[in-house]
Amino acid sequence: MILARHAEALLWTGRYLERAETTSRCLNYAANSITHLRGDEARAEGELMVRTLGLQEELEAVGPLESQPQLVAFLLSDTDNPGSVVSAVIAVRENLRSVRDRIPIELWEEANGLYLRFPFLGHANAPPGGLHEVLLMVRRACLAVSGILNEGMRRDEGHAFVVVGRMLERSIFTVGLLEASHSDARGVMDATRMLRLTSSLQAYHRQHGNAPDPDGVVRYLLHAPDLPRSVLSCLSRAGEGLTGLGANAPALDRARRKAALLRARLELGEVEEAMASAPVATLQDFSVQLAGLAGDVHAGIVPPLAMATVQAQYVRPGQAGEPGHAGERARPGPGGSSAAGGPGHAGERA
Amino acid sequence: MVDPVPGTGSGLLDRYRPVGAFDEAFDADGSVRPTYSRIVERFRELDAGEIRRLEKLVADEFRRQGITFTVYSEEEGTERIWPMDLFPRLIAAAEWDELARGLSQRVAAMNSFLADLYTGGGQAIADGVVPRWLVVSSGGFERNAVGVRVPHSAHCNIAGIDVVRDAGGRYRVLEDNLRNPSGISYVIENRAAMAKACSWLFYDHPVQPTEQYGQMLRSTLESMAPGGEGDPHIVVLTPGIFNSAYFEHAFLARSMGVELVEGRDLVVDGHSVYTRTIEGLVKVDVIYRRIDDDFLDPVAFRPGSTLGVPGLLSALRAGTVTVCNALGNGVVDDKGVYPYVPDLIRYYLGAEPIIDNVTTYMMWDPDQRSEALGRLDELVAKPVGESGGYGVLIGPHATEQQLDEARATIEAEPRGWIVQELVHLSTLPSVAEDRLEPRHLDLRPFVLTGERTQVFPGGLTRVAMRRGSLIVNSSQGGGSKDTWVLAPETP
Repeated sequence: MILARHAEALLWTGRYLERAETTSRCLNYAANSITHLRGDEARAEGELMVRTLGLQEELEAVGPLESQPQLVAFLLSDTDNPGSVVSAVIAVRENLRSVRDRIPIELWEEANGLYLRFPFLGHANAPPGGLHEVLLMVRRACLAVSGILNEGMRRDEGHAFVVVGRMLERSIFTVGLLEASHSDARGVMDATRMLRLTSSLQAYHRQHGNAPDPDGVVRYLLHAPDLPRSVLSCLSRAGEGLTGLGANAPALDRARRKAALLRARLELGEVEEAMASAPVATLQDFSVQLAGLAGDVHAGIVPPLAMATVQAQYVRPGQAGEPGHAGERARPGPGGSSAAGGPGHAGERA
Repeated sequence: MVDPVPGTGSGLLDRYRPVGAFDEAFDADGSVRPTYSRIVERFRELDAGEIRRLEKLVADEFRRQGITFTVYSEEEGTERIWPMDLFPRLIAAAEWDELARGLSQRVAAMNSFLADLYTGGGQAIADGVVPRWLVVSSGGFERNAVGVRVPHSAHCNIAGIDVVRDAGGRYRVLEDNLRNPSGISYVIENRAAMAKACSWLFYDHPVQPTEQYGQMLRSTLESMAPGGEGDPHIVVLTPGIFNSAYFEHAFLARSMGVELVEGRDLVVDGHSVYTRTIEGLVKVDVIYRRIDDDFLDPVAFRPGSTLGVPGLLSALRAGTVTVCNALGNGVVDDKGVYPYVPDLIRYYLGAEPIIDNVTTYMMWDPDQRSEALGRLDELVAKPVGESGGYGVLIGPHATEQQLDEARATIEAEPRGWIVQELVHLSTLPSVAEDRLEPRHLDLRPFVLTGERTQVFPGGLTRVAMRRGSLIVNSSQGGGSKDTWVLAPETP
């Protein structure tokens, strides 16, 4: 039986691991494409990327994007931006560190190794010299971590929570990408861009030829049952993970049901039908549903079965939150209902 | 001073000179002691480049695994890679047997005293072995522990006893740690790193293994379950990832195969302790806590603390859970009580102490105080309530002003201080840039007590990294060495 705190840490490990990889991939794409874009186009691409990643609020705190190095710093090395690669790497390490006793040693070592390899940790906003090397390193390390998770970790509840976290994060990103693509300021939907940002270009070419049309790509990224980053695949795997957690965690029932319901909406063509008339509104609604699912998973782990009332009887009024001694620096936990938010907003512990 | 030890190889040891303290590897005329003959030979085959390569191997290994400790500066903690010196400490079988017997004896007497004090009516106090005022004025004495029964009367399940060797090479106890002694994980990781980097060093030494600690600790804790239950639910309680010993807490939980919990993972209901799991509450039988007494239960102790478990003391009193180490052990860690431990051994066990204390002057005794303060420049003054080397004044290294201030402080609060003869800690060759130089060291062996007592072979050897320094604490720049207890040689 897994501790609620461990379940939570592993769920967030899955989410941040996915986020580190996704943001690296997006940044790699942005860095490549911006080199041949000029002026306003480059700015529009940068802003679209920020919207795709759901980091508009975080960007507002920094100010408007003026240059490519600024975009790189914001997405790669800005520790104040919870959606940056470095923040995700730190969060993976911190979460794994807090469950160090129950994960394979190699998993911890790989995550710790990635953290240590960041040459600019502690120097926020200082972009490294070899951007591509760093991004490649991050993506390889993320793959190594995934490999250990898949091949070296017992299929216990802890493993299921990592998978659920990853699949939630991934589906939220894919839907966010489609939504942002539909509202591109340049007025066109770039089908290749959507495929590249989901590492699906090659798979699409093999199945559907090499002249992708935007509507076909949207359908593909929503429905393809055999594509690891399609929303349907993600929901299937998240549902399997939740089912694997057994009937003894009743608080997770709602999340299990919701995952099945969202999957059914895709499978029965309900989403596709709605997309035909109002694509943006449909995707927005789906995003909200996914956020609700993430919230239900979190709520299923955290409210430890009304024991809050047991604890409350011991806590005297005014006592909570008083500063303890120096060794007691409490780690900020995921922030309650904000856990339901999209990438970058979701329960940050940075 | 003695002549340089003649070298044969690269010269790492060519200029090695013992520094006036007992050197464990070389005797006073510069010849190698028999226990160390083969290891010295091996090191003579190395050169500085090879030493640097091995040091890097070890450091990379520690870094990769995140084997770190935290040094707290004024503002925040900094994570540092655990420092290990390559030249190991060797303890011959017969020497270890004697030391282990002495440690068992000492811990047995201190456990008897704790049981007597908290649940036995205080016979030792009544018989005048230890003054009552000294005990009740100790910061480590815990009134809440009075009447709380402990299985097998084993109040201290995990003890770390700091021993040193004096100028004559005799072991002496410098300090007792019966609350939350740390360091065992580093002992085991040091061995693992040495085995990886320098496996060839082990070939001609029958070294006792260290990886059994998890089993030893688990069986000790199992024997502490209330009512001797068959398969008790054991947890390790940590303050969390920001604690300097978090690595060790996770290590211990993993090597025992039990859960590592924080206070917020536990809840007390109906005088029992439970873990919060995703499937509900699961009862806990034994808590190996790595949190100090004061933070265990905000209801009974510090109301503002969020590290502990509200209501834990009520569960403890109800006897539904055992907390290891028990509450209130700090009274024996009090350096004011330390001078009485030899008498406690005589009182409870009817035997002479196998390991002596360091000669200690009790500042609350006017005669001892006036003698000690008169020659404070030769002695060491220690605050009774501190550990980790904090607040210690080493007379020969102090300025006149520091000595005067210390005298005034001690006169103002004699109960707060002891003064000891300066022990020139023994030395061993240690890597200092491109050669080996003598560095001072101590040893923290670990003694486990549940249904029975076991002494873990070896312990944590801490070494002062700076030339001439006597401060070995890792929080103050000390390093460590792998400690080899040699098995008896079969003919």
